[in-house]
Amino acid sequence: MEPIIKVNKLSQKIGRKMLLKEISFEVLPGECFGVFGTRGTGKTSLLHILAGVDRFTSGQVEVLGSNIRKTEKFKHDLGLVTQERSLFPDLTVAENLDFIAALKKASKADVCEMIERYELNELLAEPVTVLDTMGVFQRLSLACAMLNSPKLLIADEIIKDIDLYSRNLILRELQQFQAEGGTCVYAFSNIAFCGYMSKVGWNYNSGMLY
Amino acid sequence: MPKRNGTGRRNFIQNRVDVIMFSQSRAIMKRELSYMWRDKGLRNILLIVPLLGLLLFVGVYSYQRVDNISTAIVDLDKSSASQQVITGLKNSQDLQVIAYPNNYDHLRELIKKGEVIVGVVIPENYGKDVALGHQTKVAVLIDGTNMIYATNATSAILTVTRTLGAEIGIKTLIAQGIQPNQALEAYQSIEFREEAWFNPTMNYAYFLVLAFALNMWQQCCTLTSCMNIIGENGVRSWLQIKASGMSTLKLFFCKSLVHIGIFMLMVLPVYFFAFGIFRFPLTSGWPLLLLFTFVFTISLHSLGTLMSSISGNAVNATRFGMVIALPSFVISGFTWPLETMPQWFQPLAWILPQTWFFQGINYLTFKNQGWEFMSRYIFVLGLMAVLFYSAAALYAHSVKTLFRKG
Repeated sequence: MEPIIKVNKLSQKIGRKMLLKEISFEVLPGECFGVFGTRGTGKTSLLHILAGVDRFTSGQVEVLGSNIRKTEKFKHDLGLVTQERSLFPDLTVAENLDFIAALKKASKADVCEMIERYELNELLAEPVTVLDTMGVFQRLSLACAMLNSPKLLIADEIIKDIDLYSRNLILRELQQFQAEGGTCVYAFSNIAFCGYMSKVGWNYNSGMLY
Repeated sequence: MPKRNGTGRRNFIQNRVDVIMFSQSRAIMKRELSYMWRDKGLRNILLIVPLLGLLLFVGVYSYQRVDNISTAIVDLDKSSASQQVITGLKNSQDLQVIAYPNNYDHLRELIKKGEVIVGVVIPENYGKDVALGHQTKVAVLIDGTNMIYATNATSAILTVTRTLGAEIGIKTLIAQGIQPNQALEAYQSIEFREEAWFNPTMNYAYFLVLAFALNMWQQCCTLTSCMNIIGENGVRSWLQIKASGMSTLKLFFCKSLVHIGIFMLMVLPVYFFAFGIFRFPLTSGWPLLLLFTFVFTISLHSLGTLMSSISGNAVNATRFGMVIALPSFVISGFTWPLETMPQWFQPLAWILPQTWFFQGINYLTFKNQGWEFMSRYIFVLGLMAVLFYSAAALYAHSVKTLFRKG
């Protein structure tokens, strides 16, 4: 079986700090790969590299069969939920969904489906900047990430510090995604979530332990 | 459902792709428009400032020329000849005699306080010297601190003194026994007649108001276009755009279209008020003016985009924008001739689109220069746009490549 993600001797140096040093791993289709580490260990950097939003210093990274330095085609089948609030702050919930759907070439029906699944009906007219809880924001972020029905979902601290209702809803959707054959890479800093993962890589001292 | 053959299917897919591509572009443009509209500060600046500038400057320059320049005369002679000088000065349209100080020091004080701009000192024995044909000196003192006043005052004084000089000269010749008609002919044999072309009434409003309003407009446009790239990739939502895999070329092309369209919409009311309501001269006609403005807008936007590309953050982009937008009008040579600037500096001035624009706008409004003349300006502005956009893209690309290599 061809791996969905193939990372070989990946290094990332920002300024003088070596964030990732020659790490290598593979993620197979349907797997849920957890990247565990404390704050500042390079989890977000690794996920951003895998999502093709950050460049890297050296090594080879293949995602969905594409060398990510050479092509961006793999992004058509990718969903990304960031740790920081990265939705468009000048737009409302509905406009964010519409705009990201347009960016990802998703249809209006996909938008409606996500609104239903993530229970966003009541919030559509709200600007995202006034969404009061992180849980609601993460539901919207995940809905946006899922608009293009991705094969690979990359999510950074998606259920950290969120309300119980949103957490259960998100976990339910993530399980559904995996049950349908989706592959995930999650970054988390709470060891309790290890149980949800197929395998866990521990970001430690610029390297990775499995 | 009818089955599609190979060609039909390809056409269907192509149509579907076209619809998706178009909807993506439309979504980007719609979002950019809504962004500019919802940002109240930006909206007010873009909609109101250039028009407000025009109205403000129209008010400031409503008198259109400088006359009635306050003048003081010190008559130390108090003769009939000195009275003639005073009458000549009082009859001048440009001067208004408002004070008769007793001595030179008092006059100096009045000029120093700013109560008068021009001082004329008629010396003692003036009448006697004139009658004897001796040389005499009338001192004319002008407050040089305000250049506009000083230039106009100098011109007004010259007109009066030239007339007075001729009158006295003719009288002197007659006193020496020359026939009056011969004396008159001697002074009229050469006539230097001044005639201002293209702005015959030397109207300050025609010269300055539109240019000042357009200067405010270009400043707003430059600062807005400086956010073109950094306003997108300098914020967190850039992650969404990057992760979507959409073409950045398409993104910035669509954003630029919106910006350029908005900039053109901003300038139209300014032109409408200037030429339609206030009746400023527009000798070249609307089509050429609009074409010229359109190409300049693209060129200006490309310069802003380049600034945006090389800036590390939005604050720096604004700083770069201000460094260009604020002095560009002065550098353009519109108010202070380019030829009088240092030789080494002049090529730098011509690098800016603003220089070509403000020079060109003068030709279009006053001198009715047609396509043949203006095409050079349009071509250069177009070329600048190509170069600046390319440099912006190259810079972004080279930084990207460097980063990739680590």
